[in-house]
Amino acid sequence: MPGPVRPYLTHWIGLALALLFVSMLSCTKRKNEVVVYTSVDQVFSEPVFRAFEREAGIEVRAVFDTEETKSTGVLNRLIAESDHPQADVFWSGDPVRPFLLIKRGLVEPYLSPAVSGLPAGMRAADGTWTGFAARARVLLVNRGKVPSGETPRSIRDLADPRWRGQTSIANPLFGTTTMHVAALFAAWGEERARAFMNDIKANDVRVASSNGEVKRLVAAGEVAFGLTDTDDAHEALGEGAPVEVIYPDQDGMGALVMPTTAVLLRRGPHGEAGKKLVDYLVGPEAERMMAESAAHMPLRAGVPTPANVRSVSDIRTMEVDYARVASEMERIQPWLRQWSGL
Amino acid sequence: MAQAVERTLNQRLHRHEQTLFLAGAAAILVLFSIAPWLQPLGEIAAARENSLALLASSRVWMLLLRSLLLSSAVTALALLIGLPLGVLFGRMDVPLRRALWVAHAFPMFLPPFLLALGWFHLLGRQGLLGGESTAALLFSEVGLVFVLGVTLAPIVTSLVAVGVMGVDASLEEAARLVARPWRVATHILLPAASPAIALAAIVVFALALSELGVPMFLRVDVFPAAVFARLGGVDYAPGEAFALALPLVPVAACLLILERRFVGRHSYAVLGLRSGARAPLPLRRLRAPLTAAATIASIVSVAPIAALAIRASRGSGGVATILDWSRRAPLNGVLAAAAAASGISAIGLIVGHAAARRERGASVLDALSVLAFVTPASVLGVGLIAVWNRAATQMIYGTLAILVVGYMARYVAVGVRVVASSVSQSPVHLEEAAAAHGAHFARRLFRIVLPLHARGVMFAWLLAAVFCMRDLETAVLFYPPGGEPLTVRIFTLEANGPESVVAGLALLQVGMTLAVLGLGAFAFLWRRAP
Repeated sequence: MPGPVRPYLTHWIGLALALLFVSMLSCTKRKNEVVVYTSVDQVFSEPVFRAFEREAGIEVRAVFDTEETKSTGVLNRLIAESDHPQADVFWSGDPVRPFLLIKRGLVEPYLSPAVSGLPAGMRAADGTWTGFAARARVLLVNRGKVPSGETPRSIRDLADPRWRGQTSIANPLFGTTTMHVAALFAAWGEERARAFMNDIKANDVRVASSNGEVKRLVAAGEVAFGLTDTDDAHEALGEGAPVEVIYPDQDGMGALVMPTTAVLLRRGPHGEAGKKLVDYLVGPEAERMMAESAAHMPLRAGVPTPANVRSVSDIRTMEVDYARVASEMERIQPWLRQWSGL
Repeated sequence: MAQAVERTLNQRLHRHEQTLFLAGAAAILVLFSIAPWLQPLGEIAAARENSLALLASSRVWMLLLRSLLLSSAVTALALLIGLPLGVLFGRMDVPLRRALWVAHAFPMFLPPFLLALGWFHLLGRQGLLGGESTAALLFSEVGLVFVLGVTLAPIVTSLVAVGVMGVDASLEEAARLVARPWRVATHILLPAASPAIALAAIVVFALALSELGVPMFLRVDVFPAAVFARLGGVDYAPGEAFALALPLVPVAACLLILERRFVGRHSYAVLGLRSGARAPLPLRRLRAPLTAAATIASIVSVAPIAALAIRASRGSGGVATILDWSRRAPLNGVLAAAAAASGISAIGLIVGHAAARRERGASVLDALSVLAFVTPASVLGVGLIAVWNRAATQMIYGTLAILVVGYMARYVAVGVRVVASSVSQSPVHLEEAAAAHGAHFARRLFRIVLPLHARGVMFAWLLAAVFCMRDLETAVLFYPPGGEPLTVRIFTLEANGPESVVAGLALLQVGMTLAVLGLGAFAFLWRRAP
């Protein structure tokens, strides 16, 4: 290094770092943007955001959930940030998490003009949440591990001693499994639901880190069958895994159906852009994209249902009051943590 | 009159300059690393009953014990691999030992969960070398110890290698007159490098204990996952999460005491400062088998990266698809890591220098930085939201700057310890002589300490940058919308994203790390040039 240059080196480095820091501060704050937190899988939600960016000319800045804390990681961040909200929109992977925000007064009611065609039962009359593109809870069965005559038909089969150590569910503290367990508590009552959960635990159910992990375990034949979501099941079929999808309890209480939901957040920094994003999400184009890429069940009649997935109108669905399921979900958490050992 | 007052003020300012510098560093340290813990204390008080019930649960303590045992096993495996390799790479006549060392050491600069992903593509049920039994082993405690042990072993190898390279040549030469090379290595070199070994063991243990990504990926229950569950569950319970993190404070304190006892002020060579050009010790008959063993160890280290490359190459879409999926994440990570590393090096220079010179208060700051390093990142994350998500600090919280704050909060110890080790190896006489000639503290710091220890400070910057770039646990809880670093993007895509894309993004992380390390190596060589 030539002598005269070295004394100025620290100045150049300092200047470069100052520019770097300023560019960091400036490059992420823009006016024409919207901030969305979502628990919908990044691989599916991000293309929807990009399509919205192209159509509306508004940049989407997103925070995605991790698979392990699916549906609750970003929700808790929304709660933690509630004094100074950062997000404009919450796109939830299920219809019950928004109630935790509604309860805390973090939601801005918004009746989107784009809801036409969506069933009335899948959205709130006051506009606090709007459901679209649904999933169902299904049993994913490994055909190589389960003889054809013994295919499980009910979620109660998870507790059947015949399948001891051969079944799997995702950790009920997270994701759609929490909602499913809460729905069972709401439908069956405390005693029966607890007994069922204890029975499946006694039956050595394998508690996976996520529904995707349940899919992997079933597809790989590590367990005979597991409880997961239709999008994960569809993925297993797409990968050519030797699996069969069973919509459970079709002769009983029915399968649990969970629309994804769009929620406009109160005091979001970009309210108008937030409304535009909600309009786009609950509109037919986003529902079509979610059906095609993520095998979600469209709730509009005009959007085609993907192959390997049944239409909501074709299956018996569990009758649920999402608001009640949300309150049950909160109430049973201490017990669920005990059950999970965490 | 005014000039006299100004002169007096200047004199007083200069007299207290070091105290002011140290106070400034302390203020940043407290704001970044300590303040996030004050909010949690309030949360614990609010959730007192639940927190007490939680801490009274035997399950919590059993889980902590389990994590401590697993971390001990990881440390033991890392030492088992790293000690002999460190001696081989540092002082023995193994052919191509520098190249083998680089290959073996590189994975330690990568996020451990990426390597776990690589091992999955290798040993998973449908992996390149996988089957039923390898998959069962990988997704178990054995797999966790193996993956983390192999991933962290290069820390031991590298510190031991540098340690044995710095052992006083006269000791080694005297021993060689009466003993065989291997005996010299085991009876002279390793004992002399014991502070480096102790430091390596402490660092590996701390990293293994705080690791979250790998245990979650391999479905092994560990204590940090329990803390994370309190923050990720439906009944958001930060108070309970913080209460749950409290048992880790005495563990961190124990690590700190051990570090002070066995490493602390021992003067041992780091960064090759005292490594002269000495001929390596001849292995003679053992040369071939030990070279083979070292080669195998290096291959094992890079095997998961190779598996990721193979998986990525089997996807459709090629490089364009991977770059498309990466969006701004690589830039976010590099910018934030570079800025944080600069801050860490600056604080490291001030606090590390003060710690090495045993200035008042420096040891407390040093200890606080180490505590911040070993405490659970998830707790730090929630504390940072509480401290920084305010109307007045949106320029920080809503931008990449919050990542810089988080990285600095977590990894400032890296800068402090590296600079302290470097400074402690040089005599204080030069600084004393400059002070005697009227040079005030800032002048001594920038004109004597910084040039003398430029390589140490550069190494601190490089190490801090790499630590920030490999970070996942700290950033995942509070990254700004659209500002996620690549590690977080890989983690959020990992479960459902196309495997080839995830593998390709992991390779991109590998490439970025290689580039940063390459620049660092270039800077070292450039500094060394006359």
